[in-house]
Amino acid sequence: MASTTAAVPFWRAAGMTYITYSNICASLVRGCLKDPHRSEAAAREKVHFAISKWANGKPEKPSIRSDLLEQ
Amino acid sequence: MAMAALRREGRRFLLSPVSYNTSGAARSAIPSDEFGSIGARSISTQVVRNRMKSVKNIQKITKAMKMVAASKLRAVQVRTENSRGFWQPFTALLGDTPSVDVKKNVIVSITSDKGLCGGINSQSVRVSKALYKLTSGPEKETKYVILGEKGKVQMVRDSKNSIEMNITEVQKNPLNYTQVSVLADDILKNVEYDALRIVYNKFHSVVSFIPTISTILSPEAVEKESEAGGKLGELDNYEIEGGETKAEVLQNLTEFQFSCVLFNAVLENGCSELGARMSAMDSSSRNAGEMLDRLTLTYNRTRQASITTELTEIISGASALTG
Repeated sequence: MASTTAAVPFWRAAGMTYITYSNICASLVRGCLKDPHRSEAAAREKVHFAISKWANGKPEKPSIRSDLLEQ
Repeated sequence: MAMAALRREGRRFLLSPVSYNTSGAARSAIPSDEFGSIGARSISTQVVRNRMKSVKNIQKITKAMKMVAASKLRAVQVRTENSRGFWQPFTALLGDTPSVDVKKNVIVSITSDKGLCGGINSQSVRVSKALYKLTSGPEKETKYVILGEKGKVQMVRDSKNSIEMNITEVQKNPLNYTQVSVLADDILKNVEYDALRIVYNKFHSVVSFIPTISTILSPEAVEKESEAGGKLGELDNYEIEGGETKAEVLQNLTEFQFSCVLFNAVLENGCSELGARMSAMDSSSRNAGEMLDRLTLTYNRTRQASITTELTEIISGASALTG
């Protein structure tokens, strides 16, 4: 319990949201699985989308968030 | 029944050899000058035959698309129904307050990347625009965050200045929570909000989708609302374990709620998209079949007419010789 409460300022201070934090935790838990389940769970971790911000009614160049690029 | 008979009669009239140039099916497809005068041999059966071939091909494609949508739908539907368990506890805890009045509104409208799925995209765009009108006012700011290509295309026309960001290619891989939560994280980091309003089509059955709005309040707005009482006022009854303050807990909770609700919304919309595509493709295959029937009729009549004319000419020529 104490470790959990101590961890709160940590990730918040690092500029993470709760979502990022829980995702990292989830990824660690998935990493603990044994193999047939592990690759199955890894398939549920794939991230891919393109995001573009708009300024003055014009889209800026889209940036792609993808697992292939992150690695 | 009577209507059907009437329609059939009407069609027969349209297709009767007296009025080739106005025949319903052929008119749009074939330039009318390719038909010669009434009953003449110069009527081109070639054009009709080509048209029939292309309609048949289109029918094959739409049938295949329907099959694909149907087979995808079943898996997605199960996942969608399971994902409803994500937002239900949040609604039980925080309630749903669509009528809340705050300064900074962000409308997250969820649409699909691909078309050919009936009216679900225009429906969520329409609801988003109505919501924009409801929430905008003096000293208020409303912004759009658009998921999906089709929604963007429709929004650009008249409200491009309010678009904050748009996201595409979400459905390239099968949807999963990690992906949607990373997406939710990106949205949260890039917009300032008092209330996030997610607009999507909730999957009800294969033929019915309900445009739905889910509202997520910022921690400050939750605080303000809970002072006003109501469902959120009950939050004070909870005891908070550990060293966190209520504000911290609320912030974590809001962020997590947003990603969960967004996950469900994206799934629901994806499921509705497949259902809508299935029924749209079903009706277009049926239409292609009807068109094919009409074209076949035209083709056969034309052929018969030219045979009859030829026979008449031969017989009359023969009788002129003998007579």
